[in-house]
Amino acid sequence: MRVLIYGCNRLSASLVADLAGDGNEITVLGGERDCLESVATHPGVRVVLTAEPMMQDYLQEGGIDHADVFLAMSADDHQNILVAQIAKHIFNVPKVVCHLGSPQLQVMYAALGLEVVGYSFGLLQDVRQAIQG
Amino acid sequence: MYVVIVGCSEAGYHLSKALIAGGHEVVVVEKNPARFQLLKEELGSVALLGDGTDEITLKRAGIARADVVVSLTGNDATNLVVSQMTKHIFQVPRTMALIKDPKNEPIFHEIGVDVVVNSTHLVLASLEEGVPGRPLVHLMNLRVPGMELVSVSIPADSNIIGKRLSEIELPPNSFITLMVKKSGATLPTGRSVVDPEDELVAVTPEGNEQILYDILTGV
Repeated sequence: MRVLIYGCNRLSASLVADLAGDGNEITVLGGERDCLESVATHPGVRVVLTAEPMMQDYLQEGGIDHADVFLAMSADDHQNILVAQIAKHIFNVPKVVCHLGSPQLQVMYAALGLEVVGYSFGLLQDVRQAIQG
Repeated sequence: MYVVIVGCSEAGYHLSKALIAGGHEVVVVEKNPARFQLLKEELGSVALLGDGTDEITLKRAGIARADVVVSLTGNDATNLVVSQMTKHIFQVPRTMALIKDPKNEPIFHEIGVDVVVNSTHLVLASLEEGVPGRPLVHLMNLRVPGMELVSVSIPADSNIIGKRLSEIELPPNSFITLMVKKSGATLPTGRSVVDPEDELVAVTPEGNEQILYDILTGV
């Protein structure tokens, strides 16, 4: 499986550790140099250092044309929404997952057909259950 | 018309002043407190402090009855979110957004933003226009991906001078759509004759501009 991950942070580092090996080709795009250096130590992982304004050039450099899976995992909701929709609608990546922190945006983009993940999705349910005992 | 502007850059400020002068109702949403303060001093109650990607702020701005929402924050991704939110949650009839990275234009069209203004393209077009000899000027990208509208002014020594348009072989999928002569603009036909200093507006696929330019200005 060819996996392209946008954003380098604790979340994507855990994902890389989980997915590395197993014949997966993983590419991580991000502006965080230290994080990229640490994930690059896993076998079969390629990293691309990015700077914001030229995002689409980096997506192509990261091989978005033939990715099987695209994961938008940065800490910036708006940037995740932009790149995830580019992956889905412009490059027709078969599987696109978008991490969002804002509950409002999670609900809206899930309704628009993006596959959305985020802590507060589960958190809301947990809190509700805790209240109800 | 009721216009909501999100993000008040220099452009947003001048746009809102022009719209108010034109008798339109305007609200400007600005997230940065310092810039909001300046705006409030200049425009009064037109300015609203808040995040334009937050539903509550948009409701306070009266988004539900807005005719147009213009996203002018300095961030392409934020402008995309504002446009999608106003379109899908509040059913605003017309959305307009400013972008910096020209490569982002197709995704903005794809998700249904009505007007995409590409600042890089505009600056480029103005610069091209100022270059002596007036090469090809990019007017705009069309909604159809990969097609663009360009303008070429015909130099006095071009070998198409005196020819009919039907005699000129253009690159595939390229068409002359407008002919601007000293006497005024005309819709060209195959029998229209090219004169020196005519301005020809053409639709052409990206990547064919150079071929088109060489044919129209060639000696």
